[in-house]
Amino acid sequence: MDEQTRTRHILKTLGRPTPKYFIFLLLGGAGLLWFLYAWSYQLQYGMAVTGLGDWGAGGGVPWGIYIGSFIWWVGIAHGGIIISASVRLFKLEAFKPVARMAELLTIAALSVAGLYIILHVGRPDRIVTSIIPAFPWRIHFSPLVWDVTVITLYFVMTGTYLLLTVRRDIHFLQKKLPAVFAPLYRLLLMGYHPSEDKKVERMVWWLALGIILMAPLLLHGGVIPWLFALLPSMPGWYGAIQGPQFLSIALTSALGAVLLIAYIFRRAYGWKDVLPDSAFRSLGSALALFALFFLWLQLQQIITGVFAPPLGVEESTAAKLHQPLYWAAIIPVGLVLLYLGAQWAIRSIFSITRTVVAGVVAVLAVFLEKVLFVVEGLMEPGFKLYQGVPGSYWPSWVELSSVVGAFSFVLVFFLVVAKVMPIVEVVEEEAGASDGHREMAELRLRTTPLGLRRAEK
Amino acid sequence: MTGLNKWDMIRPGWEQDAEPLLAAGGHDPVLGKEAAWDALRLVRGEISEEEFYQKHHQAYLNEFGADMRPAVSVGDAAAPLDEPNYLSGMSRRAALKLLGAGVAGLFFTSWWARQTFGASPEEKPPAGPLPVQMGMVVDLENCDGCLVCMAACRGHNGTPAWTHWMYVIAFEDENGRVNTLPRTCQHCSNAPCVKVCPVGARFKRKKDGLVLSNFDICIGCRYCQVSCPYGVNYFQWAEPETQVHIESRDYRGRWVAGRPPKGVMGKCTFCPERQDEEETKGTAVCALSCPHNALHFGDMNDPNSSPRRYLEQKKQEKGYISTFRLLEEYGTRPNVLFIGQRPSPRARPVEGPVPIKNMGFMESGRAVIKGEHPWFLSAFGGQ
Repeated sequence: MDEQTRTRHILKTLGRPTPKYFIFLLLGGAGLLWFLYAWSYQLQYGMAVTGLGDWGAGGGVPWGIYIGSFIWWVGIAHGGIIISASVRLFKLEAFKPVARMAELLTIAALSVAGLYIILHVGRPDRIVTSIIPAFPWRIHFSPLVWDVTVITLYFVMTGTYLLLTVRRDIHFLQKKLPAVFAPLYRLLLMGYHPSEDKKVERMVWWLALGIILMAPLLLHGGVIPWLFALLPSMPGWYGAIQGPQFLSIALTSALGAVLLIAYIFRRAYGWKDVLPDSAFRSLGSALALFALFFLWLQLQQIITGVFAPPLGVEESTAAKLHQPLYWAAIIPVGLVLLYLGAQWAIRSIFSITRTVVAGVVAVLAVFLEKVLFVVEGLMEPGFKLYQGVPGSYWPSWVELSSVVGAFSFVLVFFLVVAKVMPIVEVVEEEAGASDGHREMAELRLRTTPLGLRRAEK
Repeated sequence: MTGLNKWDMIRPGWEQDAEPLLAAGGHDPVLGKEAAWDALRLVRGEISEEEFYQKHHQAYLNEFGADMRPAVSVGDAAAPLDEPNYLSGMSRRAALKLLGAGVAGLFFTSWWARQTFGASPEEKPPAGPLPVQMGMVVDLENCDGCLVCMAACRGHNGTPAWTHWMYVIAFEDENGRVNTLPRTCQHCSNAPCVKVCPVGARFKRKKDGLVLSNFDICIGCRYCQVSCPYGVNYFQWAEPETQVHIESRDYRGRWVAGRPPKGVMGKCTFCPERQDEEETKGTAVCALSCPHNALHFGDMNDPNSSPRRYLEQKKQEKGYISTFRLLEEYGTRPNVLFIGQRPSPRARPVEGPVPIKNMGFMESGRAVIKGEHPWFLSAFGGQ
């Protein structure tokens, strides 16, 4: 397929919306409105409208599906940007067509995660006035502040990353883009000059390096699991394994989510060439790998929790193993691993639909596992004198509405973005082809990665 | 030729002239000199053009990030032009500089932040004599689980039905022994709730060591509740039905006493409003209300305080007493000392002599929603 046909296909998303598009937009809008109604109800009557309660003498759990959803969405966001960054850093050609979708997913999912924090707290009105003045000294102690900091950092990095890469596309396409959004394009292209492309390429490379380095050290292998893993009071949470476990979940769910989004776009726009089979096959293989990691780390926890554990760990592991919902999460991931692994070995059984179904199953299964992790941890505290205090947790309609709201937000986000900018990178990276190697090489001679101009001295 | 090095073969004294020039360029002067020497050899016909270009190719790549001399394609498999790998295009010196600058930056930032903000003043242990640390000695041998303390606390603080700032736990161990344990906040010296609070609303008061919540800035994230091993925090899930009826600000004007407003975390405070008044200082409502002399409140660091004197007296009476603190293994350094036998790790709660629900308290922490139910819940018969 030549470059022009490909570009034409990619630009299909920017065309006049079809009736189906409006149906989806209405659905998403309705979901969002429903969520806003539920949220206003919660703001009016307080957190009592949730299924949450005080642990201990209250027999409830103070953190529930809001926090479970928060870590799940953050995981999708982090996994998404890791996918995109690894395309740039490790030359994972197969993921290239989905790189921008993964970046957009990151932006959407991070927004949802931020929203969940606001939903979760009892006094959302104070978030800004309380957190900012206390930030300089609380950053030394509170893992929650570490979270807020790193999530903000990632939001900025991903936004910059996306903005830098999208400017080149917008400039390249200019006349072909819908005229309605011209002011937006002008804003995005502010100060743009084609000569910046090379420099941008370099900046994006460094951003990608930063993202990949920070992902395990700070992010989904770091501050997010540390929210839980640093608290000895809850034996189900405490321990060093949560870092790798969370990272495996982030990548599993991000790969599954990207599979689904890519599939929807491929179906809707007949993008057999833009999003080739090979992309789905590779995403499926990667998903199998991280599903394996996920199960392996679960196994580690179960074995250490049943062989000769201290009392608290023994009871929290036993409670987990007796919880049918736990198996409702673990068994599907096992099946996904089996199927995707078989598909990897026997290439003839590959099917895009089945791969996507496997992806969706994995995403939902780890969501269940994550919510259970939060709830079960609090149900089995180390202080055993409370054990047996009557209490349970089931999310209320308000909490469940937030799940609808989150999905609706992501749906509407993609519907809107697809009409504004190309959802797949048009100008391929290293498009230097047209400019010739020579120009690129000259630039390299004049500049170093640090941007110091040397030859001019 | 003795006494001369090879640079002098270019021109005597050349090295002395060339070095400052090369150094000013900011690049490796040795490479520059070597290249110059080889250029001379090339002109003399001692080496071929191809050899010349190949000889320093890698060094050029390391130093300049590219080698644009004509024969660049000769035998270089790395082909850096096609691979946007900016690290390999970087000179070793630049990479080390970058790394060094990064590490130095991290150390500096962390040092600077510590200098500037440091630990909160509340958390710095004061030097000199032991600070005032309010706490409690709870004599489990005296407690019979009458729950009067729970009622007194609730009456004083106006806390709603689902909260138990004071909670009397009745438990049975594997030998069938039933005992009761009044559980307040432990006002830990190393309180995890203080550590994790993202906004500094939970703090340890320097004046008397009380662990308190500033109800004016708490955002209600419930991280303190999750981090506390004792389960002493109670969230204000809804607008409480009772009104504040005590003066609820402490001596610094912070809103720390009484029941918290909707959406804010509360817990046993050890009555800061009483500690701030000269007449009521050193007393807590639950301890005052106890009909069995089980709760002894006061400064745990003062040998003349009521709890310390009680402890001493009991020791003298009985010769030996068993004391313990709850969950010390978590390193929280709790300030409530229990006299009696430590509950065994397998002790489990049972219904006490006076069941908590008989007191009109709710058994579950679930709050009662005061507002109207939405129409769709009524329509489907839900709640």
